[in-house]
Amino acid sequence: MLDIKNLHVAVGGKEILKGLNLRVDAGQVHAIMGPNGSGKSTLSYVLAGRAGYEVTKGSIAYNGEDLVALPPEVRAAKGGFLAMQYPVEIPGVTTMMFLKSALNAQRRSRGESEMDAINVLKQVRAKAASLNVSEEMLKRALNVGFSGGEKKRLEILQMALFEPKLAILDETDSGLDIDALRLVAEGVNGLRSPERAMLVITHYQRLLDYIVPDRIHVLAKGRIVAEGGKELALELEAKGYEQIVKDAA
Amino acid sequence: MSVALALPTRRIEEWKYSDLAQALGEAGFGDETARVVLDTLPAGIESFDLDGASRPDWVAAYYGKLRGNSVSAISLAKARGGIAFRVPKGQVIDEILSLEFAGAGHVRALLVLEEGAELTLSERVGAETRNSGLEIVIGPNARLNHVRISPVSDAVQVEEISVTLARDASYRGHFANFGARLSRTELEIAVQGEGAEVELSGVSVLSGERHADVTTHVAHEVGRTQSAQLFKKVVSGRARAVYQGKVSVAHGANGSDSRQSAKALLLSDRAEADLKPELEIFADDVKCAHGAAVGDLDADSLFYLRARGLPENEARHLLIHAFLEDAVDGIANTDLRETVRGAVAAALDEVTA
Repeated sequence: MLDIKNLHVAVGGKEILKGLNLRVDAGQVHAIMGPNGSGKSTLSYVLAGRAGYEVTKGSIAYNGEDLVALPPEVRAAKGGFLAMQYPVEIPGVTTMMFLKSALNAQRRSRGESEMDAINVLKQVRAKAASLNVSEEMLKRALNVGFSGGEKKRLEILQMALFEPKLAILDETDSGLDIDALRLVAEGVNGLRSPERAMLVITHYQRLLDYIVPDRIHVLAKGRIVAEGGKELALELEAKGYEQIVKDAA
Repeated sequence: MSVALALPTRRIEEWKYSDLAQALGEAGFGDETARVVLDTLPAGIESFDLDGASRPDWVAAYYGKLRGNSVSAISLAKARGGIAFRVPKGQVIDEILSLEFAGAGHVRALLVLEEGAELTLSERVGAETRNSGLEIVIGPNARLNHVRISPVSDAVQVEEISVTLARDASYRGHFANFGARLSRTELEIAVQGEGAEVELSGVSVLSGERHADVTTHVAHEVGRTQSAQLFKKVVSGRARAVYQGKVSVAHGANGSDSRQSAKALLLSDRAEADLKPELEIFADDVKCAHGAAVGDLDADSLFYLRARGLPENEARHLLIHAFLEDAVDGIANTDLRETVRGAVAAALDEVTA
């Protein structure tokens, strides 16, 4: 589903990713682990199409299509989803109105009919309960005054609502206490399916106790330096990044 | 007389961003009298045609008495018509008083709310070149909600609204401006009674080469008074938005509380916003806050919305709406709030197209 080859990405003229290779197939959950500054967020942003993240070399293929050429909204409509580390607060737009606009924009882009407010609300409610997202949150301005946990839960709610084919979770565990982490992880696990690929980006092994990946890749200095099964996370936790990166060199 | 009635020039500080003489050209405002057009007069309100003879006592007591600027002095001298309204003591009027300033020339209106009276005033502005003067007297414990909508025009439109508030009176005014060749809305508000409250808000959505200037002066003349101002501007093309807001707190007006905020979103390189909040404090125990900011749409917000599937133009549109929303949200009357929202949406379609 996702095939990244020799990817080089520069931000503000500085090269951050330096020849990254990664392949994720449908039905799989892969984790990207790495120390601060390794390029994890750069990878998530370049996959989502953020301006200012320039691909200088290499390729990203998504279901055989060149992803780099597509604007962010087209990637979303084609099934890409990035759960962000820092979801933005937008005063003046209610959460519910935002969800409806986004869902219908994606549907329009795919040539599907728009959903009316009542049907969107039904869909949202059905998914909100298990993520402990209250009606009151849906009426408030998007992410405004939400706690860290509430913001992350809303990200997962969107993921459930938009039903992406490729979901990327960028540091979804940061700022969560253990109960919130469990809730979010359950939400993510509920979305695992043979048609869906997931890329879980995290600094800590903790999240991977709850979302067990098929494969783990260690990112350091802009490249994948180690790969392995789920046991690699425990090794990382025991030895620390420094040792793993050194071993790989 | 001719000296006193001269138009202000840009050399006068308050007219620095609005070149009235140049916009009017040699024709000036002329000597015509414009009209005040009324849908229907709600029951319970008394009115008097200012052109009529033998003015009643309440008109004689208040007409032309409030503090006004030099342009207002011209309309007082030249206008030969207009209407005065009175809401008698204790009358609560549910129906909206809906009036329009129409035609070219000078015109005056007077609105008196006696003690305990309550009213919602909807004011519309016709597209001709006009110099309007509106005086509003709000008696003790009386409340006025005022919404003024000024649609797009190519004319020169100046209006001064002078308001005076007695003890525990409340004035809530919203000013939606969509720009003219030159548009100046000036508010001269005297807070003269303890416990009185003023809440001003406004939006300007400007495109092309249009101009809209909102200039306010809120004078806290006594203590224990409150004022709040929130003005938002969206400026595109080569348009120009101006906000000048002066709050003055007099000697001894302790316990006054004033807040003032003006923000502008510039959607093109040649758009301009001049925001000038100003404080003049002569009292000791007061709370005053003011701020102004000019900027572009937030890049993080734009990316977030696009990453969730909203096309760029739709995302921009949503963010611009969101930017204006808190300034519209404060309109008390639901129908008028929706009318302003509709006018804003129509204007934004033109701006982002």
